[in-house]
Amino acid sequence: MLKKFAKGLCLVAGLGLSTQAVAAPTNAELKIGISQEFETMNPLIMSMSASAYMYRMVGRSLVVLTPDGKWVTQLAKEIPSLEKGTAKIIEEGGKKKIVANWEIIESAKWGDGKPVICQDFITSHTIATSPTVSVGEKEQWTQVEKIDIDPKNPKKCTFKYEKAKWDFFTLAQFFPVPTHLEKPVFDKYSKQKEGYEKNSNYVRNPTNPGLYNGPYVISDVKLGSHVAFAPNPNFYGKQPNIKKVIVKLIPNTGTMEANLRSGTIDMISTLGLDLDQALAFDKKAKAEKLAFDTHFVPSVTYEHIDLRLDNPILKDVNVRKALLYSINRDDLVKALFENKQQVALHNVSPKDPWFTADPKIITVYRYSKREAGKLLDAAGWAMGKDGYRYKDGKKLSIVFQTTAGNKTRELVQVYLQNQWKQAGIEVLIKNEPARVFFGDTMSKRKFEGMALFAWVSSPENSPRSTVYSKAIPNNSNGWSGQNYHGWTNATVDKDLEALDLEFSAKKRADLVHEILKLYTAEVPVLPLYYRSDISVTPKNLKNYKMAGHQFYETNNIEDWNLN
Amino acid sequence: MTTFITRRILQTLAVIVILSYVCFYLMSLMPGDPVDMMVASNPKITAEDVARLKSLYGLDQPVYKRYASWMGSIVQGDLGYSRTYRVPVQELMGPRLWNTFLLSAISLILSIAIAVPLGVLSALKPGSKTDYVVNLFSFGGISIPSFWLAIVLIILFAVKFPLLPAGGTQTIGAENMGFWADIKDRSIYLILPVLSLSIQQIGRFSRFTRSTMLEAMRNDFIRTARAKGLSRSTVIWQHGFRNALIPLITILALSFSGLFSGAILTETVFAYQGVGKLVYDSIIGNDYNVAMISFVISVSMVLLMNLVADILYGFADPRISYQ
Repeated sequence: MLKKFAKGLCLVAGLGLSTQAVAAPTNAELKIGISQEFETMNPLIMSMSASAYMYRMVGRSLVVLTPDGKWVTQLAKEIPSLEKGTAKIIEEGGKKKIVANWEIIESAKWGDGKPVICQDFITSHTIATSPTVSVGEKEQWTQVEKIDIDPKNPKKCTFKYEKAKWDFFTLAQFFPVPTHLEKPVFDKYSKQKEGYEKNSNYVRNPTNPGLYNGPYVISDVKLGSHVAFAPNPNFYGKQPNIKKVIVKLIPNTGTMEANLRSGTIDMISTLGLDLDQALAFDKKAKAEKLAFDTHFVPSVTYEHIDLRLDNPILKDVNVRKALLYSINRDDLVKALFENKQQVALHNVSPKDPWFTADPKIITVYRYSKREAGKLLDAAGWAMGKDGYRYKDGKKLSIVFQTTAGNKTRELVQVYLQNQWKQAGIEVLIKNEPARVFFGDTMSKRKFEGMALFAWVSSPENSPRSTVYSKAIPNNSNGWSGQNYHGWTNATVDKDLEALDLEFSAKKRADLVHEILKLYTAEVPVLPLYYRSDISVTPKNLKNYKMAGHQFYETNNIEDWNLN
Repeated sequence: MTTFITRRILQTLAVIVILSYVCFYLMSLMPGDPVDMMVASNPKITAEDVARLKSLYGLDQPVYKRYASWMGSIVQGDLGYSRTYRVPVQELMGPRLWNTFLLSAISLILSIAIAVPLGVLSALKPGSKTDYVVNLFSFGGISIPSFWLAIVLIILFAVKFPLLPAGGTQTIGAENMGFWADIKDRSIYLILPVLSLSIQQIGRFSRFTRSTMLEAMRNDFIRTARAKGLSRSTVIWQHGFRNALIPLITILALSFSGLFSGAILTETVFAYQGVGKLVYDSIIGNDYNVAMISFVISVSMVLLMNLVADILYGFADPRISYQ
């Protein structure tokens, strides 16, 4: 009996060597796999990346940032500017403000054929600024003080901004909602706490085409499972080539590859694979000549180590510099990431127009054990017989924390720990679950020495929240702000305040470069690498361009072609 | 009997209320409320935003007030609102609970249907080839991690031999293809997750049945029954198996209590739209309303199934009375 069973197993294993080929997807249908959960797609309150990824297929904003880092119009006819006279600075009550003229393109319509008009932006603004609606970041809405509609043309309006900031036109998240559908809901439930979001059509009737103005409308949605999209016949732009798009949630990234190979999905989105999985899949795909391309695109996500500057050891800038000199980051990205991620010089990524690698502006730290040793000697940390450095009998020992269970970060930690050991620095790893690490240790500034994590940003984004002295989280500011390291520098504060109000691109870059100069000189943070965005697409998918920032590639899904 | 059941139901309700408060309190002790998590992921959220959101969500209130408000809504039939998914909890959990129930119930019934006869067979022929084979499969089933088995099943039946879907709950749009087509489609999607869950349960139940049956068959009354000339099947099923039932009822009742709790690993690996991962995510993401409802369901099921087990003991063994 056992022999028969063993024979059976051999037969199954033998047959298993042959893999069935899966047909390439066509324009009839494209199934995209994501591993992150999504919420209902009400553009005013959604906060998950997966929702933002999908919303760009169905909803468009006045302007958007392209993968090349340029602001272009979507619903707007043109971007208002001071130079063209379509925006101007005014003074009101001693405060400088901006008024800008926006005009919505004639062909912009909701999925039910109703035109997209300025009133739709007023409705969004009214709902989002209501105290009973749980919008996270209110400032993106309150920056616009008032919207006046041209009485002769409902598609023309004037936005009055409460501050005269250079980036007044970057309204990529200022989404309109259809007044004819959402205003009655808001009027009915506006007095109830969270009454609007519970009863919005985006929750109660998400397949109503009138809620969307993008190239697709939602045809089916099951939270925790999938969202299906069908072309929107009333889309203002060209009709999409792909007739049906399904975004399927596969929460376990380990089975993403199996789903791809079995044809359950045709591609893996930016929100799918981890880097190590992508590297492994890329090799297999090439070896087995699978019909998939793996894309690695540098992103604006900045992986770094925050140093707690009020730690007695890390207070000394020489120690901070020595920490940076003693790690070989070029080697790290080569060994762990096969050079698919780029070494970081500072908190501005190469995708950003503000980036600079000019050694005349910033301090560049190349790996040098000798330089690290010199700096530590100068700081009074002498090498002991046990291979560690001591000062006044105290060991040079620093606690190093990150999110437990994040394989990549834990690998990086061990790699760095070993390099610091060679420099005589003891590093004690004390990791915590992400919820504790971000929800308490970092946000309440309880970390002891070094904390490894990432910042997600966007090009030309002011680093105010991470380096401004008023952004140091404390009890009096409700623990808001992300200047966890506690860096204070009067020049940086001054530059940050000036940056928001500077309309000259050249001067803005100069201000940021001055901040970067101080950032790299004082080393409040150890820059590690800029992360890459990853996706896997079928080889026959054309016009697919990953962005590397928060305005995902689905922004031009109408151009994707599988023929 | 009626008094016993009424008393137990009242006790159950009291335990649910007490445990729900304990759970609510423990959740409030976990670091990072939903607003803290929001702040950590969005650097642009200001101190004013934090204060506004905490007030809106009631997070600035003491725990007992928040609990009272939550309980008040539950009593009125409002299960609350998921702050993670932005939908009412009943809409979010209803279909998922049903999916989880289907998966768990089918795999549990299948496991019992296979494991109990196997365990009895094994116990009746201890030390035989059949016993060794059953033991081999049982230990194999118990030892194989379910997530690993799930991945192997996917590779085998979805990648190497594309006979079954790699994951999901049903084909998109299948619910509109008619009743039987829908049932057929859902069944296809259930095969691999049910197999993955059942293999482990079969191992556990068959081992347990074997040991309780072995013990029952060693009793003096079995020898007496055989000496009386009763048929083999009467001795086995009416005398042996009935006496082996008491411990079996306990373990089966506990297994049934998990019907709505979800099999997080299996559901995650198969991208099955159940409640398991939802509950995990709601606890991690501090989505109080979802986590509390799932907790109440779990506690209620455990208490209810214990009550059912207590009633069944009386049927299995008439010596047990409900005074």
